[in-house]
Amino acid sequence: MTKTAGGVEVEGTVIECLRNATFKVELKNGHTVLAHISGKIRKNYIKILPYDRVLVELSPYDLTRGRIRYRYRA
Amino acid sequence: MHSVHSASGTDDHAVVVTRVSDTQWHAMEDDRVVGHGDASRRPDGRLFIGIDAWHGAVFDRIADAMLADLPTPLYAVADEADQDSTSAWERAGFTAARREWGYRVPTDPQVTGLGSVRTPSGVTIVPAGEAEEGPLRALDRIIRDEVEAAVGWQTMPAEVLPRPAGTTVLDPSKYAVARHCGQYVGLVRVKPLPRQPRIGLIAVRADRHRRGIARALLAHALGSLHRSGTAAAWAEVDESNAAATALFEGIGARRAGSTLELVRR
Repeated sequence: MTKTAGGVEVEGTVIECLRNATFKVELKNGHTVLAHISGKIRKNYIKILPYDRVLVELSPYDLTRGRIRYRYRA
Repeated sequence: MHSVHSASGTDDHAVVVTRVSDTQWHAMEDDRVVGHGDASRRPDGRLFIGIDAWHGAVFDRIADAMLADLPTPLYAVADEADQDSTSAWERAGFTAARREWGYRVPTDPQVTGLGSVRTPSGVTIVPAGEAEEGPLRALDRIIRDEVEAAVGWQTMPAEVLPRPAGTTVLDPSKYAVARHCGQYVGLVRVKPLPRQPRIGLIAVRADRHRRGIARALLAHALGSLHRSGTAAAWAEVDESNAAATALFEGIGARRAGSTLELVRR
């Protein structure tokens, strides 16, 4: 887990693509969060699929929510 | 660059938006970053912005700051299924400029019906990795110029990778080509992503349209993926591109999402 200027970032694995452009991501600590895609990923047309390993920034307001900031290369 | 652009509040807390570099903005609340925006220029010269915020009010503040700083037109991209995001962009004065359908493309010839496709007379398909680089680059240049002279690349699904000036073929090994009378006349580029390869470009020279060359290229590309154990590929098609839509839907591709390109003029 790392803390950046944008908040706490945690690695996880996408386990399900949900409606409304959100994803269920299982974090390394076993918790599951609902995450959407960052503007930068969207802008660059990076596709997120189940089993992708991703870096999630957790919401400071709700730790069950997050934003996918990076998709690691498979 | 550290200029404060606006101050506002969400609930009882003040939010301050600061431009921290030429291309980045931060929204701070109680010494915590609660949102950020960034801007980047596409190879075609258009300026795209992205905003991440945990609250709509913060999104609006960042958008206000960026719009005050940047020249128009400005572009943004949103998943159409993400209603929060699309409505936030609309609040900032952006309107939909075009839509891309995302297609899940089956590879099984039993599903696509491409197993029985015969390559048009006189045409041979040169598999990916075997095309000669010089003629491939020449064909790519011809096709790009034809598109630019017709509908223009701005109506094509975006190609956003930064490229060295004038370079449009980054990795020749990803291209299979159609050859006719010793000349390359069509190409398909497949990015071999492990879980879902992406058909990045399929195109045929204008003077060789309507001969079944694109279909033969697609049959070749999807057949190769199927033989390597891949069940489906991904492709993006501009909704105004009737020929590409017909090609993909005709082989059983299913719409699996849509991306909106928004503009503020």
